[in-house]
Amino acid sequence: MIGWLGQRTIDGYLYLTDLSAQVYVTLRELISPGRQGRWAALRVTFRQMIFTGVDALPVISAIALMMGLIVITQAGTQLPKVGGEGLIGSIIVVVIIRELGPLLTAFIVIGRSGTAITTELGNMRVAQEITALELMGIRVSRYIIMPRVVAVVLSMLCLMLYFDAVAVLGGFIIARIKLTLPFLAFGHAVAQALSLTDVLVTAAKGILFGTAVAVICCHHGLSVRTSYTEVPQQTTKAMINSVTICLLLDILVTIAAYF
Amino acid sequence: MKFAIELSNVQVSMDSESWQVDFTLAVKPGEFMLLVGPGRSGKGLILKLCAGLVAPDQGTVRVLDHDLAALDDEGLAELRRRMGVVLQQPGLRSNMTLYTNVCLPLVYHHGINEEELRPRVMPILDALGLKALEKRFPSQLTAGEARCAALARALVVDQELMLLDEVMAGLDAEMVERVDRVLAEHRRTHAVTVLATLHNPSPLLERADRIAFVRQGRIEAVGPYAEMAKNPDPALQVYLGGRPGSRLAS
Repeated sequence: MIGWLGQRTIDGYLYLTDLSAQVYVTLRELISPGRQGRWAALRVTFRQMIFTGVDALPVISAIALMMGLIVITQAGTQLPKVGGEGLIGSIIVVVIIRELGPLLTAFIVIGRSGTAITTELGNMRVAQEITALELMGIRVSRYIIMPRVVAVVLSMLCLMLYFDAVAVLGGFIIARIKLTLPFLAFGHAVAQALSLTDVLVTAAKGILFGTAVAVICCHHGLSVRTSYTEVPQQTTKAMINSVTICLLLDILVTIAAYF
Repeated sequence: MKFAIELSNVQVSMDSESWQVDFTLAVKPGEFMLLVGPGRSGKGLILKLCAGLVAPDQGTVRVLDHDLAALDDEGLAELRRRMGVVLQQPGLRSNMTLYTNVCLPLVYHHGINEEELRPRVMPILDALGLKALEKRFPSQLTAGEARCAALARALVVDQELMLLDEVMAGLDAEMVERVDRVLAEHRRTHAVTVLATLHNPSPLLERADRIAFVRQGRIEAVGPYAEMAKNPDPALQVYLGGRPGSRLAS
């Protein structure tokens, strides 16, 4: 039992070291002065942003609207019963903007783009596309990893802000049928409850979650070695580890910012 | 530079084989050397050693005046820019057309725009009979066409060394003739060093400056075609195809 625990701890430590090294390599590629491959990498970044960011808007909109409707309806109908009408703004900021928005956005990005990245890189590895790139002197860190990390981080950031806006405003419009609260009073309550810290924390979560998801999914995709049967296995691992690490990062950021 | 490729007492343990690889080989600049021999004899491994994909357990591998063991990732990437490598699996990007695949090294390394790309790439595609297939994706190509596309991708960049692993495998007779012609022309105009493997007789045998016979991880004989054709080893003659002068033909 102790041996198993020790082995798991060592494996976990090595895994986090690998991920940290990947983040370092990505940052180095991002700021390194060499111009070689910049345009090709930019094209990959753009394509990844379209897939991760723009193509995800319909599903993000639908989930944000539903989530906003649920939270605003519950808050708007239950709080007055206990004399807590004045807390509606705080409830929305805490539940949607601080927590549900970033986490649900991260989960959608993991489900849509993270799995796609792992699958794509895994298949590339088995088909020797990665080896062929290396043999052409093309740096995988610059052409494959860095563009995906940058695209996922930027998309995650934008999608989180979009999720919050749609959940709060769209949710209110839908819930307006049941609520007696006028829009101005609702907007005022939310604005009063929202602080600069909330916006910065959401942005920090966007950057951290985006980096974690992209790096984990690239790492697992490139961990595929010889067989196509490894691809779904690595994709499952990437998804579970991405969700776990995003939750851990969420706890850390929340404690650091609000505790 | 005395040798374009120099393998000195290179030893590699093979998990899948009972024997150990032990090579010593030197290829002069501008030389065309062919490695012939049975499958799983270590021919492809020599190319992978030269490309830096496999590190030897012992010995040194020097390529274009660089000791590969002394190079970091960046140095190796720089060195690979001076090589054109075609492995048995072509490794074409599945989400790119044949044309964009061939253009990739030019776009990545030189940032060449579309106006300059076509005049540079299309003649090579034309010479290899791939012009009509330029808009096809790798999944729509035959194995031979994909191999030719990988060869085209290696040829578009000005390189000093070409490593070709079974480049003639899976090609029809017309394709073999085209590849033979294109390689001969490329060598004539670029003075490039070529190290290629073959496991079937091909016109390349007579074009090569020297042929090395590889068996069970050892280089058993090296020499020009005319000399090798006189070698009494029947196993070698099988790979020389019983051409005039060879034991099988006689």
